[in-house]
Amino acid sequence: MIPAKKLLNTLTEHWGVLELLFKRFKMADFSLKDVQNAIKQKQPSWSNERIYKETNRLLNQDIIIPLAKSSQLEINRAIADFATFLLQEEHLGLAQEINVLVDDLARLGNRLAKAGEIEDYDELRRFSRIMDDRVRKIMKLFSHNENAILNIVEQAKANNAVQSLQKRYQAVIEAFDEYIEPMLEMVDIRGDFHACFNTIETQISLQIEQIDRLGKSYQDKRMLEQLRTRILEMHLVGRESLRKSADMLMPLREELRRNNLITRQAAKVLGLVRKNGVDNMLSAVQPNFVSDSQRFSLGQQRHIIAYMAGLVDFEHDEYELPEHQDVPAYQSPNIPDYNDVKSQFKKRFKKATKKSQPLLSFLDESYPDLDADEMLFLYQKLISDGDLEISQSQEKVKIKIAQQHFSLYPFNSSPADDKQATEQ
Amino acid sequence: MTDINLDDLTHLQAINKKLTSGYHISEQDTLMWQELDQHIDAYRALFNALGHDLQHDSRGYYYFGSDESTPNMGKISRAIALTIYILIEHYANTGKDPMRALFDEVNDLELMQTLVQINKHLFDQLEIFSGSDLRKDVYLRMVRLGLAREVENGFMLQAPIYRYIDALMEVNEETYLGDDE
Repeated sequence: MIPAKKLLNTLTEHWGVLELLFKRFKMADFSLKDVQNAIKQKQPSWSNERIYKETNRLLNQDIIIPLAKSSQLEINRAIADFATFLLQEEHLGLAQEINVLVDDLARLGNRLAKAGEIEDYDELRRFSRIMDDRVRKIMKLFSHNENAILNIVEQAKANNAVQSLQKRYQAVIEAFDEYIEPMLEMVDIRGDFHACFNTIETQISLQIEQIDRLGKSYQDKRMLEQLRTRILEMHLVGRESLRKSADMLMPLREELRRNNLITRQAAKVLGLVRKNGVDNMLSAVQPNFVSDSQRFSLGQQRHIIAYMAGLVDFEHDEYELPEHQDVPAYQSPNIPDYNDVKSQFKKRFKKATKKSQPLLSFLDESYPDLDADEMLFLYQKLISDGDLEISQSQEKVKIKIAQQHFSLYPFNSSPADDKQATEQ
Repeated sequence: MTDINLDDLTHLQAINKKLTSGYHISEQDTLMWQELDQHIDAYRALFNALGHDLQHDSRGYYYFGSDESTPNMGKISRAIALTIYILIEHYANTGKDPMRALFDEVNDLELMQTLVQINKHLFDQLEIFSGSDLRKDVYLRMVRLGLAREVENGFMLQAPIYRYIDALMEVNEETYLGDDE
């Protein structure tokens, strides 16, 4: 018997070597030379003698053991299992393993119930301990398999486009068919698994009740309660772990299915194209693109549609007639009544008919408040009035009225022919 | 009715120019893609009113949908389709994962030559006789449409290629347009 502490020391010392051997040979056998090379690689400074000694140490402590009837070596199974656990390099177990454990659990549950019936408390304790052990094992398997599936998924996803599809997804498919599906079937709410746990749970509950009632073997109650909790937890953990695993694998499985579909379809389509010609086969399905030439024409149907849709919403701004009260009140210009002007004009020039007087200066004098345009308005009214006797001057004259300068051939107050004024 | 604030749409001009020329804006066109992503409602409403059909594909690209192609565009599209299907077959034949290789591998001139050689019969119908023809008539056009991007020594295909893969899945005997004898 090798002391555990010594073994552990050797393991820590040579962990690098063991890890290397484990990863390189993956459970397969290897020669003594390989071990020495591995040590050399990890400890390049060591002498050959030292390496020889260390190799022997590994052998003597049964960490590395020889294969039967061969000079080849392998890592001790127990150590290898420990290493897989440490390195999480787990390989997917079988659904069957868990199944067997669960069956065993059911068997033990029955024995436990029987032991309870005949009040054999030693047996009761023993079975409950074994069951506890089984439950732990199952939980371990769940987490182990979950890790293994994670590894599979990572490998399948690893960027290795050179590998063929079939190879890349083989592990995924296997994992799905051999673990996930049977397991899902098992943990199904109507499956055996569930029924079995229900039975065990009632059995244990019954025992606990019994103990309560009889008051015997009270210290066992706690153990049973713990077992019951553990079983319930296992059930939950199992479901959770399976769900997680399935979630990880499902997309890959879909991807594979889809990839296969696309490859097959591509081969099929190319076959059809070879037979029927490119244009015939692909015209109907080719994606269409908007092109530059279409950009500049409105001829496209959808353009017209958009235009029409725009028209539907189009509304004239309705023309609104102003309301009566909205119209601003008419403000008469500052012009005196024409008839007054006319009579005043007549009155004024009756006396002074001998000398002709410019019409504008008369207006300017009589109505100094008027603006130029108002003055001109009166002026043109007066000159076009047939009743008045006025004459046009022959020379162009500059006149200033209401701060504005005008140059015109002015009409003057004198009896003469009617002529049109030329205003400037 | 979406309110469109044209001041927010800072890349409108560039986006409009690209999209109307048939370009697919994918995630690699970071600026425009982000802009579209942020103001998708406004852009969609605006382009709709102009008679364009702005499409967004969740696989990461925007484009203007169209029901018809000009004859020239149609020919180009068929050439692209053929090239992609041949690529898929080629990758599958060489034991690669076609969908992965399609987007991960650089298509260089050597690959183009191989493709044309193996499928001479098919490419002849499209008047593509050599690898450099394929480069010029298909790959450069794909770049112009945003289906591929040019890299150091070749081309990388981009997400809008999925339009062709969708089209691929639609093909069956019934789509055959030829006149039966």
